[in-house]
Amino acid sequence: MKYRISHITAYKYASRVSHCYNLAQMMPRTTLRQTCFNSKVEVSPKVSRESRREDFFGNNVFQFEIQNPHRELVITATSQVETRPQIVDTNLDLGSTCAEALLKMRQSKSEDVLLAREFQLDSAMIASSNELRDFAQDLFTPDRSLLSAVSALTERIFTDFTYSPLSTTIATPIADVMKNRKGVCQDFAHLQIGCLRAMGYAAKYVSGYLETLPPPGEEKMVGVDATHAWLSVFSPGEGWVEFDPTNNCLAGEQHIITSWGRDFNDVTPLKGVIFGGGRNPGMTVSVDVSRV
Amino acid sequence: MPQESLIPKLPTLEYPPLGKPGDEVHGVDGSVKPHWQYVMDSFSALPLNALQERQNKASRLLRDDGASYNVYSDEQSSSRHWGLDLVPNIISSENWGDIEAALLERSELFNMLLRDIYGPRQLIRTGVIPPEAIYAHRGFLRACQGIKLPGDHELITHAVDMIRGADGRMIVLADRTQSPSGTGYALENRTVMSRVLPSMFRDSHVHRLAGYFQQLRTKLLSLCPHRANPRVAVLTPGPRNETYFEHAYLANYLGFYLVQSDDLVVRGGFLWMKSLDGLNRVDVVLRRVDDSYCDPVELRSDSRLGVPGMLDVVRAGNVVVANSLGSGILENPVLLKYLPDISRALLGRELRMDSVTTYWCGDEADLSYVLAHLDRLVVKSTYRKPGQFSTNGTLASAAELEKLRAAILANPMNYVAQPILSSNFLPTFDNEALSPRPAILRSFTVAGAGSYSVMPGGLTRVGNEDGSFIISSQVGASSKDTWVVASEPQREMEKPPEDTLAARDSEIINLPSRVLENLFWMGRYAERAEACLRILRTTYRQLNGEDPLSSDMRVHLLDAVSKLASVTVTEVPESDRSMISLLREGTVPAAIAGVLNSMLFCAEEAKELLSSDTYRVINDIRDSIPLLDTELGDHFQTPDEVLDPLVTALMALAGLNHESMTRGYGWRFMDLGRRLERAVQTANLTECLLVPELPEPDQSRIAEAMLIAQEGLISYRRRYGARPDVTIGLNLVLLDPDSPRSVMYQLTRMVMHLRKLPKGSSPLHEMTPIDKALLECTTQLRLASLTELAHPSESQRQNLSKHMQSMSESLMSISEMISDRYFDHREASQQLVSVKWEGL
Repeated sequence: MKYRISHITAYKYASRVSHCYNLAQMMPRTTLRQTCFNSKVEVSPKVSRESRREDFFGNNVFQFEIQNPHRELVITATSQVETRPQIVDTNLDLGSTCAEALLKMRQSKSEDVLLAREFQLDSAMIASSNELRDFAQDLFTPDRSLLSAVSALTERIFTDFTYSPLSTTIATPIADVMKNRKGVCQDFAHLQIGCLRAMGYAAKYVSGYLETLPPPGEEKMVGVDATHAWLSVFSPGEGWVEFDPTNNCLAGEQHIITSWGRDFNDVTPLKGVIFGGGRNPGMTVSVDVSRV
Repeated sequence: MPQESLIPKLPTLEYPPLGKPGDEVHGVDGSVKPHWQYVMDSFSALPLNALQERQNKASRLLRDDGASYNVYSDEQSSSRHWGLDLVPNIISSENWGDIEAALLERSELFNMLLRDIYGPRQLIRTGVIPPEAIYAHRGFLRACQGIKLPGDHELITHAVDMIRGADGRMIVLADRTQSPSGTGYALENRTVMSRVLPSMFRDSHVHRLAGYFQQLRTKLLSLCPHRANPRVAVLTPGPRNETYFEHAYLANYLGFYLVQSDDLVVRGGFLWMKSLDGLNRVDVVLRRVDDSYCDPVELRSDSRLGVPGMLDVVRAGNVVVANSLGSGILENPVLLKYLPDISRALLGRELRMDSVTTYWCGDEADLSYVLAHLDRLVVKSTYRKPGQFSTNGTLASAAELEKLRAAILANPMNYVAQPILSSNFLPTFDNEALSPRPAILRSFTVAGAGSYSVMPGGLTRVGNEDGSFIISSQVGASSKDTWVVASEPQREMEKPPEDTLAARDSEIINLPSRVLENLFWMGRYAERAEACLRILRTTYRQLNGEDPLSSDMRVHLLDAVSKLASVTVTEVPESDRSMISLLREGTVPAAIAGVLNSMLFCAEEAKELLSSDTYRVINDIRDSIPLLDTELGDHFQTPDEVLDPLVTALMALAGLNHESMTRGYGWRFMDLGRRLERAVQTANLTECLLVPELPEPDQSRIAEAMLIAQEGLISYRRRYGARPDVTIGLNLVLLDPDSPRSVMYQLTRMVMHLRKLPKGSSPLHEMTPIDKALLECTTQLRLASLTELAHPSESQRQNLSKHMQSMSESLMSISEMISDRYFDHREASQQLVSVKWEGL
């Protein structure tokens, strides 16, 4: 599937910002299942310096500095991406069992397993806990295939938790999400990653976009799409496989990847330091994913 | 007749063989080892009191140089003096040769390791080290992936902590790679030793340290190959950091700028230092700020010690930061476990010097070993934090061990354990005798054009007790100079490379504006304190005079004291006695102490510009501050005993500033601050004392008090006779161009200073707002009529009152204008998105 994506972020500050240093991760990376043809980021007001690079995880990072005083900051990222389905056997019951996967994670000296072990560790926003392990453990019986167990966990999160956009912020701890059984895609991804890591599996956080389709017979409105987040789990032998707990599915062609990392903290779409600006800036994000 | 018995035998210092393993001085046969012979002979020939005297002299010298080590846990007096023991740690040249070779090898290996960790990570990919050893450590900064310094080295400076075991072999306990501290203290120790024990030092043929610092300077300059005279800055967290002394000391010694976070800014992809004439590009930063604090945009978002955007400037190669950002990962003690494997993989051979055996709880076999032997091991966290020490299992209670076990099991990867090693003992002077103390040696290497150079010697620290477990400057251990003694006399150092005298001259002028601001305020606070002390002293003298004071005089003198010290006194003293207790016990001494403390704070911020003579006076002032509280409240003491030395010390400070500071911007701003403050205080004093019209003899007495406070009585008497008169008094304190205390004199000096400051690039001939305001002040004073000013109506000298008020207001606004024009006013910064940082 071919898409054109536009992702507009606008900040309105309560008082003047004299200068700022920012870092944006809004340009989709090229992966095994998607190709990013081109992407650009435009910033208003004019930047005094910009640079583009790949970060530690291979994500595209756009870094910029503005030295003109401003009250409004608008960042427009546009890109063209072609996606393909994940290469994964539709029968998730095949492949490494949970027991085999755990053993290989510990003992294998093959490079992909060694490198995947980074994603088995705690990270800034995800600390594994007994509570998380207990939430998932019964699904991960030794002889069951790992991917089918992960799929069952995806379904459990989808069923047990309510999607509720106003219930959490970007900094809500997983423990609160567990307690309130409410959250958004970011929370569910963190939660599932936390469960997997607590049991000894490697999982990473994937951020990107999801194409939404209008109800039958209706015209799609521009800007209704949103940034989305899901996760990818490592099964020794099968490699990385993406699951979406918010929609209870494997990530498909409609899932467009921007970046991945250990958690949201590694892939924050826009962060930085501003001088001035007052309190509580107003922020609006508008995303449009359209087929081309 | 046996003459000898008449001469009392002075006690001398003996250091007999220990009679147990670990004697660094004596061989197994009990004889002194050859390289210790000369020094031990010299010490045993010294009478005890002579050594005590020298030890005191050493302490005094260290203090005059401002040598201190700020101790974190000590909230009260954060600055603790650096301790130096006079018995050096002596290492023979031959033995040093082996140590040196091992250290060179170790630094080369650590450099290669660092390059691999932030580069291809082959050691992880090929299974030499488990991924968690790097990925689970907070010192691994992913944002620093791929940073590359010019030249062959990412690790510019490296420090290695070692102890010598009973078998005579050195063993490594830890590495410091973040921003190793200690070189400045080692140099300071050496300087003091050579002054306190000059002949012993001279005759021992000690290897010199200067070569290390030359190499450091050359290396740092070489990191910016494309610019002539690159500008190097030492980035310090500031005076509250425990090793701030060293930062200032090194910056001075190496001829680099000492800067803090706010002195630097990123603009257009470069790093700049804010100074009086605008922004100056910085090419190389020797950082003493931990890497994770260096850039709140990409690293710790809660850091106030770094520079937003700096990491991207580093990445672009537009500034070089040493040690390379991310180098803290090498301090992870887990690496010690794998070091032999790493050495085989990277160097293809075994290391010459062993590291302490290290068990990592992230490894299953090690974990079970550690849990089974907790009471025999030292357990350490893998990530070093200030104030956090290891747990010695042999000393821990059963409950503590249980707690430790639980902590390890909750996060096994975060802990390592090591066997308890005992170090050899060094003779250490404890003010009574030479006692054996365990010692750690920190050695330093610095990268050069090809390989590394090792500082011959280093910093030796000794434990406080015979068997002390923790030897760390953070728990106040004492230090020793380390002498590598040559059998041959040392060659003279080759000449330092010609490094552009012109460039260093301009550096003296181009100070960060923060330093100038602190000097300006140091000048203001010094004058304010002096003015307060003078009027307070004068008031006491009047109170202790022959005649009791009238109630009017009490009110006006109290008014003057409280106005100058900026305190509000609402009570009206009924008698001289109640006035004295009001002044002693009230808020006045506290307010003056506050002003003095502010001055000391500013002095600390500009420490690198103050000479050791100046520092001695500053120490005297610091010592006297508590007396304001304790002694002044003591009714049996005359206030003069407290106030006189303080006034004298402040005068000495003023004299030193005047006589020993280069006439650069630093001196100008300090003097500008002094002149401005003195003019303000004189105007205030005049307003309080001379505006009210009083009957005689009060009028003369108060005019006399005014003149005493202004140091003008003698010259008044000589010129005008005995009885002080208001008009003539006003002439002296306001107008007299030859009196260094008159307001006119201050204004004239201010005009002179402002003329020399940069004005910006405007082509117009218009006066600056500051010049205009100052001209207005001067002109009004010049046009004033003394008769009109002294003329009273309704018992008040209204004209004088108005004039003094307007003078003091104008001067305050000039101070603000100076501040706006020349000092930096950085807006508060904030994170665009606040996400918590746990640094994992």
